[in-house]
Amino acid sequence: MRFTIYQESRVGQRKTNQDRIAYCYSRDALLMLVADGMGGHLYGEVAAQLAAQLIAKAFQREAKPALAEPALFLSRALTNAHHAILDYAFDKDLPESPRTTIVACVVQNGVAHWAHAGDSRLYLLRHGKILTHTRDHSRVQLMMDQGLLDAREAANHPGRNRIYSCLGGNQTPQIEFSRGVTLHNGDVIALCSDGVWGPLNDDAMLLGLVAGPVMQAVPQVLDRAEAAAGATADNLSLVAMCWQDESAPPGVDSISTRTMALDDHTTRIDLFPGSRSAGATSAASIDLTEEEIERAIAEINAAITKFDR
Amino acid sequence: MPPQANCALPPGYQLDRYRIERQLSVGGFSIVYLAVDDDGTAVALKEYLPNSLALRKEGEIEPQVPEDNLPAFRYGMKCFFEEGRALAKLMHPNVVRVLNFFRANGTVYMVMQFERGRTLHDYIQKHRGELRENLIRAVFARMLNGLREVHAHKLLHLDIKPSNIYLRNDGTPVLLDFGAARQTLMNDQPFLKPMYTPGFASPEQYEGRNGLGPWSDIYSVGASLHACIVGTAPPRADDRVKGDTLQPLTKTHASRYSNQLLGLVDWCLQLDALKRPQSVYALQKALMQKEAGDPMPASWFTDIGSRLRSFIGRA
Repeated sequence: MRFTIYQESRVGQRKTNQDRIAYCYSRDALLMLVADGMGGHLYGEVAAQLAAQLIAKAFQREAKPALAEPALFLSRALTNAHHAILDYAFDKDLPESPRTTIVACVVQNGVAHWAHAGDSRLYLLRHGKILTHTRDHSRVQLMMDQGLLDAREAANHPGRNRIYSCLGGNQTPQIEFSRGVTLHNGDVIALCSDGVWGPLNDDAMLLGLVAGPVMQAVPQVLDRAEAAAGATADNLSLVAMCWQDESAPPGVDSISTRTMALDDHTTRIDLFPGSRSAGATSAASIDLTEEEIERAIAEINAAITKFDR
Repeated sequence: MPPQANCALPPGYQLDRYRIERQLSVGGFSIVYLAVDDDGTAVALKEYLPNSLALRKEGEIEPQVPEDNLPAFRYGMKCFFEEGRALAKLMHPNVVRVLNFFRANGTVYMVMQFERGRTLHDYIQKHRGELRENLIRAVFARMLNGLREVHAHKLLHLDIKPSNIYLRNDGTPVLLDFGAARQTLMNDQPFLKPMYTPGFASPEQYEGRNGLGPWSDIYSVGASLHACIVGTAPPRADDRVKGDTLQPLTKTHASRYSNQLLGLVDWCLQLDALKRPQSVYALQKALMQKEAGDPMPASWFTDIGSRLRSFIGRA
């Protein structure tokens, strides 16, 4: 597989960042996710963290290096995360179960599958157009579907944050699954929380994401959304991946998984202990951590031994 | 101000399971040492040490990286890893073998098989203008076996030049030093400039990353062939784009070499990438057949160097 990927999350004007984002890849499969812990509820952050961690762990466990069945994996991983959040609430005697939205996408064999619950979105962009995006599990979306609201009215509707499906909470989540979509060279898949798509319309989102390589486009889209939201900016999180044909010449920041060991994974889950400085997060993500250095060396030595035989 | 040169590790220094014998070469990005491992096998040890970012003073072991340079230093390290990754999966008699990769002294090291011989560059210097056509054809046809392997792995070399083509004592060529990794340093990293050699780099390499492909390596092969025949590299490709002063070899060197070989070099050195041979195989085939329809010598596809040794022995 070859792709470029970048993720960033910002706290916006809130006190804490309750969004969690992660990506993780093995030689043959890639997982991306955004979970937006629900601030109106207790421990929204905990729910998002649990969901991100559990789904990433399940991926690491099963993608060795490929998942048996990506759609089934998503179904199982998201349902398990829901139950784990309920268990946590029970163990801690919480009066109410914490809740989080989820959008998760798996790419394997050049085919993308995704699933979501709530109003965190996935966009699939092709040739500078939005090929598809997920439909929010929200009251305003339902009203729009029924022709009661148009997009502009929906954006200002007082109940726009009300969603009817999520992980955690008393109701069984209504998880919506995509069909498998074969990716083309240059396709961009972007997953984001409502803090990003809310202040921007689809066009602004699109223009931002096709403006350049994802490493630059992601921070730019976040800048724009943060500026547009002003003093009311929610947490903003965006993971974007640009798919590349393996026959095309590799780009600057392309990740090629060809040389990865079969049971190896690269995972990135961002944690934000009270981080307010967006600059610091993006600088840190270019930097190479000790762990990454060790892993790169292990990876190269694994390839050397593998090809030595 | 040009960056200060880094001091090499002292001979006899024990690094991991290798003992440094001497410095083999120094570049802006790394130092290469001859070292011996604990079995007594000679290896080439490449130390990541970008001149502009890290400094090892006389008598010191661990290079100092100023705080401000740390992100760029780490980023360059990432590129060094890319080179390691690229080479690690290539296993070909005409491509240098990576044996190990490790961390020490705050930087990283790549251990490569040490080959006895000399670079094509040294050979050209010694026999300037006297390289026989058969030798040129035989060396390049075999070197291209290695390059084909590189391209088959969807990699580009991007720094092919006579000093990166090594001739073993038995005459077989080995492709060294993958520039592709350094190429990635170009964007957004003002401290780390790409370090390809002017004259050997294709015009598209001066224009950023777009449009790079096997044809870019083919330009460099053409420039290396040019160096074998003329003794020097052709003019820089970025200058040629502005005003081309390169005379076709078919005009200037017609007496000494066959028209077919000279035509081949001119073909590779086309400024328009589409006018060059589009694959290494096409070029290799042309190198092996003096005239269309000639049988191709099967031995040139292998790494047996006996025929070649006899050429070099005579030279």
